[in-house]
Amino acid sequence: MSTRSIGQEFTKGLWDENPVFRQLLGLCPTLAVTGWVINGLAMALATTFVLIFSSLVISSIKKLIPAQVRIATFIVVIASFVTIADLFLKAFFYPISEALGPYVPLIVVNCIILGRQEAFSSKNSVGRSFIDALGMSSGFILALLILSSIREILGAGTFLGHQVMGPWFEPWIIMILPPGAFLALGILLGLALHIESKTKSRK
Amino acid sequence: MELVAIFVSAILVNNFVLYYFLGICPFLGVSKKIDSALSMGLAVTFVMTITSVVSWAINNWILIPHDLDYLKIVSFILVIASLVQLVEMFIRKISPPLYQALGIYLPLITTNCAIMGLALLAALREYEFAEAVVFGVGSGLGFTLAIILMAAIREQLDLADVPEPLKGAGIALIVAGIMALGFMAFIGMIR
Amino acid sequence: MNLYSRMVIVLTSVGLLSGSFLATVGMLTKERIALNIQQEIEEAIAHVIPGTVSSEKLYEEKGLTIYGGKDKDGSLVGFGILASGVGFQDKIALMLGTNTSLTRTKKLKIIEQKETPGLGAKIEDDDAFLIFWENKDCSDSLSLRKPAANTPEELAPMEINTITGATISSESVLKIVNSSLERVRELIKEGTFQIGEQDVN
Repeated sequence: MSTRSIGQEFTKGLWDENPVFRQLLGLCPTLAVTGWVINGLAMALATTFVLIFSSLVISSIKKLIPAQVRIATFIVVIASFVTIADLFLKAFFYPISEALGPYVPLIVVNCIILGRQEAFSSKNSVGRSFIDALGMSSGFILALLILSSIREILGAGTFLGHQVMGPWFEPWIIMILPPGAFLALGILLGLALHIESKTKSRK
Repeated sequence: MELVAIFVSAILVNNFVLYYFLGICPFLGVSKKIDSALSMGLAVTFVMTITSVVSWAINNWILIPHDLDYLKIVSFILVIASLVQLVEMFIRKISPPLYQALGIYLPLITTNCAIMGLALLAALREYEFAEAVVFGVGSGLGFTLAIILMAAIREQLDLADVPEPLKGAGIALIVAGIMALGFMAFIGMIR
Repeated sequence: MNLYSRMVIVLTSVGLLSGSFLATVGMLTKERIALNIQQEIEEAIAHVIPGTVSSEKLYEEKGLTIYGGKDKDGSLVGFGILASGVGFQDKIALMLGTNTSLTRTKKLKIIEQKETPGLGAKIEDDDAFLIFWENKDCSDSLSLRKPAANTPEELAPMEINTITGATISSESVLKIVNSSLERVRELIKEGTFQIGEQDVN
């Protein structure tokens, strides 16, 4: 059982236990779709949908699931919500679905979601699980937003498609390509740890 | 030679790790030593090849003929989870030390985006059976190549003076970025 | 109730519940999704065969689909050839509009591409690339002009322009068009695909 306050349950997902920067989970979609802010945002929101609903369902039925089949059950629940998210995007936001390609179905193997079910939703109340999912999702959205902003602004000079850098700016195309993703995330991780150690030594 | 193109492209041009960003977790987690990297790579290749065959069969013999496309994600992931379970039991039986070395990363192959990504991409591209198999083997080998190269570099990095915040994942990602840059040289090979 | 039966019951119910849930959502969205795909194709056809009011799928095989564009009277005004192939980075899918005798191009549209942004991705751009594809002689294979010309008038009737800095992407598009036209000619020779004798335009 968790001993944190409700507020802390939420905020831990933003920094202390940020799924991307601290737990290093869900890196595949993080690197893949963050070339453009709109894609990063769409992916983060789709993942949020799956995480929140999976957590709600799992924590509601946690008492009914025998331990031996819990992973299989988690997987079926998660995969169902991913399918729904995928179908929804294909039906109502077709261009974005095309842009995200196979990465929406890949939300099903996003370690964040399975990790939260195993570590939290299967052991906590529905209310707490909801807040935990909300916090983790916000942390994920934050991470993708930061990474994709850096990549799009430096790599194309735009933000959400709108030009933000002046004509003097020669875009670093590499940022939108795979190497840029790795480099940006690597440096951001280093930065996060650096800030972390600095604040720790001050305390 | 369509099959050769698919094979070579999967290993070099569209390398699963360095281009599609699939399999990052094991890529970062098991790439510290060359021999465990090699074992992980081979285990993944093995699972990928079998997954390729099974998911192709399920998609083309069950899902498509009965218009059950929406069950694709659920069925693929369940198949992968079961396959990994089987492989795990298999390795445990024939080589306990190998089983120990791979530790937690073996069950983690289930959530390895690479396997699921493989099944999904093969289905998306509507590969024939032979193409799907070649794609599976090629992608597995591409993953193995990337992870071994990364392990080789990291073994050397252990001796270098890396700034504290970048130690571990940070420097690994930067190295991956430089590797990805290098692999971009292969683009255009297929023509 | 022993553990084993509990496991089976839980797994089966979860499976059935999610299965039916998914079937419902699948059913609800199916039409919408098919419509989206259809719309994308129809828009492409209308774009590459000016004057098209309706279209019809005439032939389909792996990597190549031939559509006919019809005007308001129902007569054929051109063909839309949907083809795909490998580009510099990944798959390229395009729609080429031709006249009814397959001797002149009308317009080209790139439907899907993952080329380098700012360079190869320019193949989607009208001014940088597509305009050079209009009204070319395609009775045989087209060729690439490099270094790039500045205006369409400078090109020979069977030449298309390369994009400076994106030669491979430009070449890939050329290859896809040439091989798909070649295939269509093959199909006509075989008799699998028929075109009328009259050159409407």
